[in-house]
Amino acid sequence: MLILSRKSGESIVIDGRIVVKIVRVEGDVVKVGIQAPTELPVHRQEVYEEIQRNNQQALTRQKTPLPKLPSRGLAKTPPPPQPAQEPNCAASRAP
Amino acid sequence: MNSTYPVEIEQLAPPELREVKLPMGLLGFEQVKDYLLIANPEEEPFHWLQVKNNSALAFVVVDPFLVAPDYHPDIPQPEVEFLGLSRPEDALLYNIVTLHGADRATINLKGPLVFNRHTMIGKQVVIANASDYSIQHPLPQAEACAS
Repeated sequence: MLILSRKSGESIVIDGRIVVKIVRVEGDVVKVGIQAPTELPVHRQEVYEEIQRNNQQALTRQKTPLPKLPSRGLAKTPPPPQPAQEPNCAASRAP
Repeated sequence: MNSTYPVEIEQLAPPELREVKLPMGLLGFEQVKDYLLIANPEEEPFHWLQVKNNSALAFVVVDPFLVAPDYHPDIPQPEVEFLGLSRPEDALLYNIVTLHGADRATINLKGPLVFNRHTMIGKQVVIANASDYSIQHPLPQAEACAS
């Protein structure tokens, strides 16, 4: 691994099109700015790996039986800011 | 089987298919870009996101706002531009569901699949406020309500 020393405000250019800039250093936290073409995904490693693992776990075979949800608890449209006081199980029969 | 499909997926007769494209794939499945979005009315609100040329490989997805009413995903600006979303209404969200055996299912609220509903081109987006949400948010269970 290439290791470079940079000061706050200094940058690294990768492949002529990706710029990694050290924005600020606060204690043990380094704020890094990354400028890259939109087709290059940039992720925090731990979040990326978490989602990758979850995707692999979620991959399934079609025709797997799906869980039943309480239909009363489901909003049909994106809900208003104030969440409704659900769920009322008694009315959960789908028509 | 008849195959006249109206445009709005929610109103389609069973089973309804739509071709969708994820040009960047899914995280961990970057090479797989072509999918079918399949909706069976009896399986609502769940839909299937099936790999186009492999009917054995699929994900269960759901409109997150139906199961997590407080969900407020913050889509980073580069993703908005990548998808060509000019208004919030242009976005169509589906989140991946993980089935854990017969009676437990969770939804990934950190990494929704965001589609432009006009092009049906989408991307799995890591939302800017991912730390506010769980990657395995429990789905409400009918069993808990059954009497």
